[in-house]
Amino acid sequence: MADPLVIECAGLSKHYGSTRALDGLDLQVPRGSIFGFLGRNGAGKTTTIKILLGMVHPTGGRVHVFDLPAAEREASVAIRRRCGFVSEEKDLYNGMTVGEIVAFTASFYPRWRADLQERYLRSFELSADANVKTLSRGTRTKLALLLAFCRGAELLILDEPTSGLDPAVAEEVLQLLVSHVAREETTIFLSSHHLAEIDQIADRIGIVHRGRMILSGVLDDLRQDFRRVQAVFDGDAPGAGFATPGVVRVRRKGRTLDVTAHGHVDDVVAEARALGAVAVDVSAVPLKEMFLELVAMED
Amino acid sequence: MLWHKAWIDTRWRCLIGLAVLLLSAMGTVFGYQLVSSKALDITAPQGSGMVAAAIREALELSRTFKGYVWLNAFSQNLSQLGTLFAILLGGGALRSEAPGTLYTLSLPFSRRALMTTRAATGLAELLAITIVPALAIAVLAPAVGERYSILDALVHGVCLFAGTAVFFSLTFLLSTSFPDPWRPPIIACGIAVVIGMFETFFGRVAPVGIFHVIHGESYFRGDGVPWLGLVVVVAISAVLLRVAIAAIERQDF
Repeated sequence: MADPLVIECAGLSKHYGSTRALDGLDLQVPRGSIFGFLGRNGAGKTTTIKILLGMVHPTGGRVHVFDLPAAEREASVAIRRRCGFVSEEKDLYNGMTVGEIVAFTASFYPRWRADLQERYLRSFELSADANVKTLSRGTRTKLALLLAFCRGAELLILDEPTSGLDPAVAEEVLQLLVSHVAREETTIFLSSHHLAEIDQIADRIGIVHRGRMILSGVLDDLRQDFRRVQAVFDGDAPGAGFATPGVVRVRRKGRTLDVTAHGHVDDVVAEARALGAVAVDVSAVPLKEMFLELVAMED
Repeated sequence: MLWHKAWIDTRWRCLIGLAVLLLSAMGTVFGYQLVSSKALDITAPQGSGMVAAAIREALELSRTFKGYVWLNAFSQNLSQLGTLFAILLGGGALRSEAPGTLYTLSLPFSRRALMTTRAATGLAELLAITIVPALAIAVLAPAVGERYSILDALVHGVCLFAGTAVFFSLTFLLSTSFPDPWRPPIIACGIAVVIGMFETFFGRVAPVGIFHVIHGESYFRGDGVPWLGLVVVVAISAVLLRVAIAAIERQDF
């Protein structure tokens, strides 16, 4: 039986005047997954997150979190009680100390994890008396994660959590996420345009482009399905396009045809041979290329 | 804890306002002997113009402590400063560009609860910065050999609070429409000046005028508590706050 869905959107749209931030987005996030939500800047990632948390009202479509309608005010409060959130800007209260913001946040969560609070305060070397305003970006990110983790949240929504961090701190944050999920069985919805990070920790991905989901699924399955087929010909490669369904992109370079395919790889290989290829090589496609090829195709 | 956050957000404006209005009230009390002795030396101007009449009335009022306090504190310094700090307290309700807004909105409470708490905290602070200085006048009066009724001070303090609450609510509403913290108080100050000028030149609206209520003029002149004016200003404040809360509930952040 499939895992129950924590997030489910169908035909979700958000229009700002004539601008379509979301244009019929479909999204399913199963419980217990680390879902990498990929997209270029302005693709609709942050708008989706804000709708999930009730910060933005959708123009149309259906959006459910924990089977509750996120667009309704009372349900939205119940959803936020079960979610942790870290914004891209690590938006916290500059006028409070670390101790004050922790106490303030804890007061809204009956399942607040005081044990995790103590552990993370120690391991992050966060002083309760330190003013939030004076924290470095890296330390601020750690505080934001602490505030999200300790809620006892079933779902963590993280919008570009490593944005603005140096590679060492970014790596530390990713390791922290993985170890937290392993211990606490939390679902993570991680928005990012850093493909390497998603590749490293996500088990499912969704690629959003111009407000629509253009690819979604289990990352390992997508890696299996996406293949690069390189066909070498005796003379110049033929100019005709491939008729096989699932061909994402074809590049012609002298004697070589470079085909990126999503599924139907055997059919693509057979078609290449039928076109007269003398050698055909099939290789894996890294996530970065998968993303770039799909986005280029949509453009 | 929402109360605590609202207090942290506004405490400096409240404490500075309280200090300034208290100092103003103390200055009024302790300046009485100097002003009253000078007033005896000044000859009232003759003539029928508005300015001459105003000077004559000011001199007349300054001959008694009660008149002097009303003229200097309740109809001028405290009302002007109270209006200014009401406007300052009403600003910054929930701005999309303010630090911490997204964090606030990610927490499990409704925007209505958040805004209601913020408004209630601001009004409680405004009550403190209007009532305490008014009562301080009654408490300090014996220090200059005068008496001032606690009841009178309380009534004037309530009038000051209820009237200035309109400007608090107006700024609260304006701050839901502007992303920056500066335009709402500036616009509210402008509106306050226009209303003040309008009430000065069109005295017929006086019984329900906002500044007429703030000054507590009808009470001072022996016409009793301005109930109608108080009801009107409370109703205006309630409508402005309700519209502000509804605007925030509809807003995208």
